[in-house]
Amino acid sequence: MSKLDTSTDPQVGFRPPGTLDIATALERYNGPFGRRQAAHLARRTGFGPTPAEVDGLAAHGVEGAVDSLLHPREPEIDFTSYPDSAKLFDPKVRNVTAVMWWLDRMLRTKRPLVEKMTLFWHGHFATSINKVPANYMVGQIDLFRSQALGNFRTLLLSVSKDPAMLIWLDNRYNFAAHPNENFAREIMELFALGLGNYTEDDIKAGARAFTGWTLDKDGHFIFREALHDPGMKTFLGRTGPWNGDDIINIIVAQPIHQRYLCRNLLEYFVYSDPEPALVDALAQVYALSGYDIAKTVGSIIRSNVFYSTRAYRALPKSPIEFTLGLLRYMDVKQVPADMPGWLFRMGQYPLAPPSVKGWDGGPTWISTSTLLARFNLVNRVVKAAPPRPAAAAPAMSPASAPNLNFFAAMTPDVVVAQAGGLDPGKVLETIVAGALQDDVTSDVRQTLRDYLNSTGATLPVPFGPENYQEKVRGVLALVLNLPSNQLN
Amino acid sequence: MASRRVFLSQSLGVAVLGGTMPSFFSQAAAADPLPALGVSIDPRNVLVVVQMGGGNDGLNMVVPYSDDAYHRVRPAIAIDDKSALKIDERIALNPVMGGLNELFKEGNLAIVQGVGYPNPNRSHFEATQIWETASPERPVSTGWLGRYLDRIVPASTADSAQANLFTAVTLGDTVPAAMIAQHVDVPAIGALSTFQYNSGKDTASRLTAGRLYDGARAGQSPYLEMIETTARTALRGGDILKAKIASYKKTVTYPTDAFSQQLALAAQIIGSDVGTRVIFVSIGSFDTHAGQRNQQDRLLGYLSGGLLAFQKDLAAHGNADRTLVLTFSEFGRRVSQNASNGTDHGTAMPMFALGAKVKGGVYGEHPSLTDLDHGDLKYNTDFRSVYATVLEKWLARDPSQIISGGFGQLAFV
Repeated sequence: MSKLDTSTDPQVGFRPPGTLDIATALERYNGPFGRRQAAHLARRTGFGPTPAEVDGLAAHGVEGAVDSLLHPREPEIDFTSYPDSAKLFDPKVRNVTAVMWWLDRMLRTKRPLVEKMTLFWHGHFATSINKVPANYMVGQIDLFRSQALGNFRTLLLSVSKDPAMLIWLDNRYNFAAHPNENFAREIMELFALGLGNYTEDDIKAGARAFTGWTLDKDGHFIFREALHDPGMKTFLGRTGPWNGDDIINIIVAQPIHQRYLCRNLLEYFVYSDPEPALVDALAQVYALSGYDIAKTVGSIIRSNVFYSTRAYRALPKSPIEFTLGLLRYMDVKQVPADMPGWLFRMGQYPLAPPSVKGWDGGPTWISTSTLLARFNLVNRVVKAAPPRPAAAAPAMSPASAPNLNFFAAMTPDVVVAQAGGLDPGKVLETIVAGALQDDVTSDVRQTLRDYLNSTGATLPVPFGPENYQEKVRGVLALVLNLPSNQLN
Repeated sequence: MASRRVFLSQSLGVAVLGGTMPSFFSQAAAADPLPALGVSIDPRNVLVVVQMGGGNDGLNMVVPYSDDAYHRVRPAIAIDDKSALKIDERIALNPVMGGLNELFKEGNLAIVQGVGYPNPNRSHFEATQIWETASPERPVSTGWLGRYLDRIVPASTADSAQANLFTAVTLGDTVPAAMIAQHVDVPAIGALSTFQYNSGKDTASRLTAGRLYDGARAGQSPYLEMIETTARTALRGGDILKAKIASYKKTVTYPTDAFSQQLALAAQIIGSDVGTRVIFVSIGSFDTHAGQRNQQDRLLGYLSGGLLAFQKDLAAHGNADRTLVLTFSEFGRRVSQNASNGTDHGTAMPMFALGAKVKGGVYGEHPSLTDLDHGDLKYNTDFRSVYATVLEKWLARDPSQIISGGFGQLAFV
């Protein structure tokens, strides 16, 4: 029997401690659903909730909250007002414009789970502006968004005809006379089956089936029959005159596919290196649903295992989760123009995954330099002083940045007002509750109170009217730089 | 002590399915009980490994220009005889590699031809893992450089305040598989200016941040301990690096591409007495399935120009004699061009070893372009022989402690 090869998954070894109760793992959770559970749900299904959003989800109860994410009724923001949206499909659109467009959607969307799944599919079908023009990348992201919670078979077929993918994996040059195997290999290795579940002969047969799937002169998908190999092919044990549609139908019917995709979803939403029994259980849900993504994801985010203590803050935040969560908590209204540069240093430049495998996630997010970038981003955002333009990554820095002078609306005065006065203890509790749902130990609280009450050369008096601005910004930075804020 | 290295070693048993692990993969590698080899080798020697990511087409880098078969199977993408930089009567360098040609003529460049391994893998990821772990037969969780680091850094001191944080350095944003060790944490340095905690005038913030990253508790997410350990290293390391490197004066102007700038930083680190023995640098996008010439020529130009400037910089600071550069890629490419004026994933390729102490010349046989294995070159030199040569003759370590299986050595060092 074929099996999942997890040997190259760096998240292996990072499964949380404790034991899975497989009998009840995917049953509906009906325990308490307060601010901590609501924030957990919001972090995993979105880009970091504001305190008000946490309260809103908690008031819905678990069923209502999940339903509002899967089937959002609130109208979406009108993103056509984005400054550069008219240019997005222009062949001359700049890479950074496309990146800023997407980050803005993540910041402001009313449909966080749709956008979070769009990001999942971007990592899953990892395609990059390092090879594909940005206007095609925008088209691909729009495709992922429109089918984010749709049907995987339909999505895989759409991706196979997507111009960005046809460029990225060279299938536009896959002709009967000279088959190009790149796409056929990756659809099995990365998109649907995983390593070791196909042979080199399957790749050759798959490549022949996709011959003639190419682009017309306007950059749209076209099937050119003259360039297609209509001959008999043996693919994954089945013989016929297969074309690309047939190949996709054969692939998604493989039980290994169901487990492959479900394991990836569990690592995205629940925790690293999920138990094989949990993968198998979710694979059954997925298969019975007829490859329905909404039903499968819904099953995850309603489940006991999702709300278990083992899953709570059990994943490191991706750089995008960390950055957007920071901006959203600090109430920054527009994505600052230097964010792509920061994301680059943290290891997740949107639209430019490091390889066709996407981002490995898990422990690979955490290195000395990526953590320093996270710390310094926090230090910069809480102060919200204009950055030097040179701070952005040189190759990708925006030349004409409109909004370097951004500010965080979560100002010290707002914090103090929420705290009900200039009381260092109340200020700290307000921040810790709003940013971290109180996930802070008493030792850490003491260290932070010491900071607020400390005196020093630059801040010569204890917390009070003269210096609360600096002190509140300082403690905001320290709280947002806490280890627990690195975990989702 | 807890970080990626430890947790990965715990998962090793899962990764090595049904196999018996050679002892060096599982040893905790405490202070090496055996003395280092080669007492005459400079203990300050530095190895710089250059990854050419994406699968570099070796045949258009070291060109078999005199072979009719080369021109026949690559009608649109072959390097023409006239512009090729001829090494001997058989092979030449790509014309964009004037810098490396200069270094070859000075006797400082060794070209190892036809490098590969049995049953080659054509997946970027698996092949990269194979090259970086030096374990084609089965997946292992430590890299070949990581195992070297585990040997030279005693486990008992790896997380102590006295530990040298910069024994090995990755220039970039993530640590490659080659640098994953069991107990040595390798810093990833994107740029010097960003590798420090910046809280401006608020020095209390920096001090408090240090305190806040102490103390994960048992039973919490394994990520928490990893994050805390890495953060402590980062905070301390940033301070040290900034203090030590400030006095280094660059004397050479490097090309402006990102790869050359990384080499400039490498020279700075080597010249700044922070005890670095291994540096990992990457240059990417060699996956030339289509329109190969433009893309690969541009990248090879960066490679050559950057390495020439690097050698000059090292020499100006008296560090050339103790620095060796080794290049690799996860695979070469198909012998025949494809329909898109590119090449698909292939097998064997040449490696470069570069440095003032390198015995320049051509090593190994150029693979035949007609005696092929399913359209691909047959290797004649195992990449682990190249690694073993560097480990023993340059880094003074017994390679059998680090690489499974016995591999003959080459004479380029």
